[in-house]
Amino acid sequence: MFNSLLSADSIISVLAATIRLATPILLAALGGVYAQRAGILNLGMEGTMTMGAALAFITAYHSGSLLLGVLAAIVTGVVYNLIMAWISVTMKANQVIAGTALTILGVGLAAFIYRNVFGIQSLPPQVEAFSVINIPALSKIPVIGPILFKHNILIYIAYLLVPFTWVVLEKTVFGLNIKTVGEHPRAADSKGIGVAKTRYAAMMIEGAYAGMAGAFMSLGYMNIFLDGIVGGRGFIAVAVVVFSRWHPVRAMWGALIFGFASALQLRLQAVGANIPNQFLLMLPYLLTILVLISVSKKAEFPSAYAKPYSRMER
Amino acid sequence: MRNKLTSGLKAVGSAALTIFIALAIGAVLISISGENPVTAYRLMINGAFGSAHKISETLVKAVPLMIMALGTSIALKNQLWNIGGDGQFTLGAIFALAVGIYVPLPAVIVFPLSIVAAFIGGGLWAGIAGWLKTRFNANEVITTLMLNYVATYLLAYLVYGPMMDPKGFGFPQTPLLPESVRLPLFSAATRIHMGIFMALILLVLMMFFWRSTLGYKIELMGQGQQVARYAGVNAKSTMIIAMVLSGGLAGIAGWNEVYGLHHRLMTDIASGYGSLAIVIALLGNLNPIGIAVSSFFFSVLLVGGNTMQRMTEIPYSIVDVIEALVIIFVITRSMMKLDVMKNFFTRLGIGGKKHV
Repeated sequence: MFNSLLSADSIISVLAATIRLATPILLAALGGVYAQRAGILNLGMEGTMTMGAALAFITAYHSGSLLLGVLAAIVTGVVYNLIMAWISVTMKANQVIAGTALTILGVGLAAFIYRNVFGIQSLPPQVEAFSVINIPALSKIPVIGPILFKHNILIYIAYLLVPFTWVVLEKTVFGLNIKTVGEHPRAADSKGIGVAKTRYAAMMIEGAYAGMAGAFMSLGYMNIFLDGIVGGRGFIAVAVVVFSRWHPVRAMWGALIFGFASALQLRLQAVGANIPNQFLLMLPYLLTILVLISVSKKAEFPSAYAKPYSRMER
Repeated sequence: MRNKLTSGLKAVGSAALTIFIALAIGAVLISISGENPVTAYRLMINGAFGSAHKISETLVKAVPLMIMALGTSIALKNQLWNIGGDGQFTLGAIFALAVGIYVPLPAVIVFPLSIVAAFIGGGLWAGIAGWLKTRFNANEVITTLMLNYVATYLLAYLVYGPMMDPKGFGFPQTPLLPESVRLPLFSAATRIHMGIFMALILLVLMMFFWRSTLGYKIELMGQGQQVARYAGVNAKSTMIIAMVLSGGLAGIAGWNEVYGLHHRLMTDIASGYGSLAIVIALLGNLNPIGIAVSSFFFSVLLVGGNTMQRMTEIPYSIVDVIEALVIIFVITRSMMKLDVMKNFFTRLGIGGKKHV
């Protein structure tokens, strides 16, 4: 059994699956970096992703275009996150509760819309999912090729968004504004940076990323929509953002750890290993708690984390 | 006294209005899906109250929700955002069942011991998060959330591994509790069990709790750690105690489900009660009586929603939508009032510029 697990083919397929399984978490976590850096802890990402997955699937099914499906998911994510932005920025309500509500709302509404469009069917409707694109030359490299360069377009985009997100946050004025608003909203305000406006923008960007993560679930990872399709990945993404200490590249490593744990677990199941894989699945969560402990002691959280800003209060 | 009555009535009125708006939006959605909302809601009410059996099902559901929401309210009053109810529930259920099947003592000892074990299990799980917060300043939202997953996998490990029923044909479930320790049923025809008394006892205890010194300390903590510190409250220990009590009650909710309903553990035992408990605690204004009423309301929604789904084309997810809308209205309503005030002052030229 261990021989079959440790063969070259098996290792390659686990690592390729790691890249694939990390993708939705990575996309959502990158979005989450913007929002959390701006001071908003959005626990509703699970809901945004589910809405994205549903609308992506419905659009792709009816238009026959996967690309339109992804676009629909992005738009859905942006619009859906506006609700969270309104509750947490404009209404200054508690973000933890708001996020919990938006997860329930998103998961419920997505299922509701899907059922209204397709009714009850014995076999779930399907689309032709995004196909694998072999990168010329690179995919021919032994070992590395099949691990890194035989994926669908959304996976490549997700990993390209890592440097993109880093550049936006570290090298642009907009990125600086986001960080200032999360660190010291009052200072940002006195500098003429619109705190509310910047936080709304960060939330909309997060929505776009999370919507795309949802589209990946229904059009890239699977080719159907299921009620629990996101399966807690939105919450994992929130954890990955904290794990990464709000840094896109570290978020990628965090997503890969989660991806690896699930890939290895799937593999162990496939070869019928009798190892209790639950401990393996537990590991990333325990790791997140450990990272959280080390992060929190150094007080690396954005100072205005999960705090609404009001000019009238001190 | 009169003041208390008016504020109580106001709270009830505002909760009722919140529910009404959420149900109205639900009605719009039901019409969109081509069904008659009046029929749908009638089916829902009928599904929750239509017969003795249905009423009993509604109560069976309300009991764990109420116990858990009472627990959640302790943490929330302390401004601790304990969203790990599911994990604490699971640990309570595991501890309680372990006592029930592994402790070879007479039922008179095992039964009370199982309650204590459930409280310890849930309290421990929440206490970890509380301790991490006081010791390392680790955000309790993230830690309780992570511990939910750890609990889920721990339970999965146990029911697939060491605690699996040897005579269960490989199903992921534990052996059944001996009949002698189970919570007795009221009648063989329904599933309603004596756990309802546990809920009522806890309800009364909670009412006294908020009048106790500890309850008062927790309330003070909710008004800000500064305030509490000036009053001589030890912030750290109060925080941990609030978390332990909060999780302990979630654990007892787990005990209730195992000893009263399922009599064993299986993988999906917590079934998302954690987030519901938050909703119920908030809708109930963190007040024990309010929580009792709103847990009953949500139970009606859940049980009735099930019937509605079976009888019509309306998907069950409408229940989730209504649930979420209730929370959103609850958390924004105080601000809405505040905003109206602010606009008024702004117009008078007092107060700051209104920002976007």
